[in-house]
Amino acid sequence: MNVELNDAELARRIACGEDREAEAELFRRMVPRIRFYGLRHLRDEQAAQDLAQQVLITTLEALRAGRLREPEKIASFVLGTCRMTVLNLRRGKQRKDRLLEQFAACMPVSVESSNAHLDQEILARCMQSLKERERSVIVLSFYDEQTGTDVAHFLGVSEANVRVIRHRAIHQLRNCMGVA
Amino acid sequence: MNCSNPIDAAILADYWLALLAPPEEEDIEEHLLGCGQCSARLGQIIALAQAVRTLARQGSLRMVVSDTFLQRATEDGLRVREYAPPPGGSVQCTVTEADNFLIGRLAADLSGVKRVDISLCDEHGIEQLRLPDIPVHAGTKDVLYQESLAYAKTMPTTTMIARMLALDEIGGERLLGEYTFNHTRTLPGPGAW
Repeated sequence: MNVELNDAELARRIACGEDREAEAELFRRMVPRIRFYGLRHLRDEQAAQDLAQQVLITTLEALRAGRLREPEKIASFVLGTCRMTVLNLRRGKQRKDRLLEQFAACMPVSVESSNAHLDQEILARCMQSLKERERSVIVLSFYDEQTGTDVAHFLGVSEANVRVIRHRAIHQLRNCMGVA
Repeated sequence: MNCSNPIDAAILADYWLALLAPPEEEDIEEHLLGCGQCSARLGQIIALAQAVRTLARQGSLRMVVSDTFLQRATEDGLRVREYAPPPGGSVQCTVTEADNFLIGRLAADLSGVKRVDISLCDEHGIEQLRLPDIPVHAGTKDVLYQESLAYAKTMPTTTMIARMLALDEIGGERLLGEYTFNHTRTLPGPGAW
């Protein structure tokens, strides 16, 4: 079954000929990974989803045409494509409509969101159980996305110290939320 | 398929916050695009970040915040209600349905202090809650204490005394300032009062 194959094996199957199951499985695996890359760099859900579709279309195109000579390097290929696509998106170069039209038939209708929704009440309790400095670091980092320098200045400690506090707080929060 | 070299959740948080050096970021991105397990863990970190953001926007955390934080909240269109009683003084205060943040600006001379606690007391001065070792630095002229909005909106008319205390190495306390908040309950507010 395709679900038991690793990414490189799926890539090989796609490269060997029309294997729609392998393409669908690769699509299913890669969409959330590319979407997270997109969220990290574009900070926009819609743009991240667009990125995932564009990158996967380019990847399938390359695999079908046999342009990916080393399938075990598919992650590198996808990363390179992500970077180029983000650059293109930022430059406003849109190939989306044409590619979507060309590859629409092989694309799943919808892609499930893999973001877990956390219980806000439990999170509030867990946040309140952190030490004062830990809570401040987490809120200033995630709400305001302040730099390590800004947070360090507010706390009156070094950036390295802020990093230690942030790491400890994240582990404690995940333990408290039961996701560690 | 199990990952043989899983990325620590805290490092993933650093990645999400763009705090990694470019070479490390590149290695992590390549790993994430080839690893469903670590990618899923990144998804959990993103969900945590979004949930913290939502929680912070609700003003429901009792904590010390910064001026930059309040500035950001105002830019986001959130409404900040702030009271600044002088040390040793009092202020009449309340909170309304339209407010998003309730802040007490506590002025004090914090020069030379190593550790500062905020002690929250009832109208008789009996401590009800303490925020130990709050974040302050040498140049701080005031501390922005955020009261939980969810709590404040359901509070009856009451008096709360906040004390800012400096602690030395052996646990000795010195009063830096005392601030009295005479709170009038939110109207209409919960019934039966």
